Amino acid sequence: MTDPTASADRPRRRPGLTGERRLSAFALLLVAPAVLLVVGLVAYPFLFSIWISFTDRVIGGGGAFIGFDNFRYLSGQAILGSAARNTIVIVVVTGILKLAIGLGLALVVNQHIPGRGFLRAFLMLPWAMPAFVAFLTWRVLYQPIGGGFNLILTQTGLYPQVIDWLGQRPTAMPSVIAASVWRGFPFWFVSILAALQTIPRDLYEAAKVDGATRWQQFWTVTVPGIRHVVIVTALLSSIWTANAFEHVWLLTQGGPSDATMVFPVLAYLGMQTQRIGEAAAVSVVMLPVLAILVILATALLQRDDDR
Amino acid sequence: MTARRGWPDPAMLATLVVVVIAAVAILFPIYWMVITSLKLPRDIYRTPSLWPSVITLDNYRVLLTEKDFLVPIRNSFLVAGTVTLISVIIASLAAYALVRFRFRFRGLVGKLILFAYLTPASLLFIPLSIMMARLQLGNTLTGLVLVYLTFSLPLSTWLLQSYFRAVPRELEEQALIDGMSRIGALIRVVLPLSAPGLAAVAIFTFTGAWNEMLLALVLISSDSLRTAPLALNYLITSDVLPWGPLMAGAVLTSVPLMILYFVAQRFMVHGLAEGSVKG
Repeated sequence: MTDPTASADRPRRRPGLTGERRLSAFALLLVAPAVLLVVGLVAYPFLFSIWISFTDRVIGGGGAFIGFDNFRYLSGQAILGSAARNTIVIVVVTGILKLAIGLGLALVVNQHIPGRGFLRAFLMLPWAMPAFVAFLTWRVLYQPIGGGFNLILTQTGLYPQVIDWLGQRPTAMPSVIAASVWRGFPFWFVSILAALQTIPRDLYEAAKVDGATRWQQFWTVTVPGIRHVVIVTALLSSIWTANAFEHVWLLTQGGPSDATMVFPVLAYLGMQTQRIGEAAAVSVVMLPVLAILVILATALLQRDDDR
Repeated sequence: MTARRGWPDPAMLATLVVVVIAAVAILFPIYWMVITSLKLPRDIYRTPSLWPSVITLDNYRVLLTEKDFLVPIRNSFLVAGTVTLISVIIASLAAYALVRFRFRFRGLVGKLILFAYLTPASLLFIPLSIMMARLQLGNTLTGLVLVYLTFSLPLSTWLLQSYFRAVPRELEEQALIDGMSRIGALIRVVLPLSAPGLAAVAIFTFTGAWNEMLLALVLISSDSLRTAPLALNYLITSDVLPWGPLMAGAVLTSVPLMILYFVAQRFMVHGLAEGSVKG
């Protein structure tokens, strides 16, 4: 790129600039503000949070070390079991649905169809909507009075009775899941679409020459081509969904009774009862599983990064 | 090759059906948000219909005058803008060093940033609220800016790395040969060339802060310091039926962002495709 003769009569670099040590010090200086803030605002509170969970701290108080008492107390509470079960259900079911919808739409948009660019932008709209707006809107949609879904069902005669979607056990969880999928599928769609676009067309041609059907092409060319992205997306999406707060908080606040209770909402409610130690313990309960997901995701993302 | 002209073949027809279903599923909630915000109470509650008998801006008037919604909007702008400015500056320096230099602890710093990015707020909100109270920053917008850096800084550093990596090293070396300092090269060569990336990162950071709710809920207790999501959250818990003004607030806080995304999405998709933007 650069013309080697252009700077022939000038020193190529100022002396000292290439010195390993000086460069290293300079680089550390550049990353220092970010590192200090991250250590102070993420690493320290992270460890602090684990410490608090082993204390009997209340708001405004210091709190003494009480070992595993908070965890022992929590394990006796039925609501912790509900939170664990609901969190897993939401992560797994929304994950599968977002994968299916995201993959399906990505395959559609990856074809040669008119208006692809527009279609891609359009399909991302739910994700462009702030989460709190999306879930407030869905809350209104689910209302027995003034809600869009009941209006459609009753006016078209599909179902004569008004359903209190968020207010009764059988429909509350599916309602939360549907809203989460609506807001979350574009992330999967765009990630998978980007992966699809990196698969060389020749591979499909070669498979066709070998006599592969479309179905076989999908399994031998498409799936290997997007597998890595799907795994990374699944990990990230699981971490975020397991720790999401708005979807449940704005739709049901964990109710009815604890039918849609999840860890982050339980921890938040715990904090409002002033018993900080227990609340921290609630969020720390998730940590082992979360840590595995985070370590896996970090490894995969850093591998991509080095490529 | 096979049919792509004349009457649509079955595959094309299936595509069309999928696209139409997706379009309806995406648009109906958005339509409901907008139309509810334009309805009179009687069209919401008493005689609900898919299309209101009267279109009115009354909900917006109630929201902006009676509920003082401009105050939370202003707070949100202030917080999100400040967070974005600080994050992008600090993250640019860090991302540049991580991409261009091989230095001791580079791997460690990279890992730390990534871990921080993946550490969810639900794990941090309790200790952060205690820390902010100790720093006398509880219930202040400054405190909110500080805690928002927990997610915005790792996010912008992580995303900027991929944009900086795309800038050819040769251009920078040329600038150094021409006597520019490293910082000069960053400011005058790398940053301008990554302008679309910077814009995308700024938008991601801004919306991340704009949308945040849990930390704000924990940290802010005064009415006058509420951000937009908080103001809307407290609107549901008030006793009168709030759907009209609530949806007016939803429209005001989301439509500008959605237009921005629609226009800028070409730049944004790159960052999103890096598999790394919170959904």
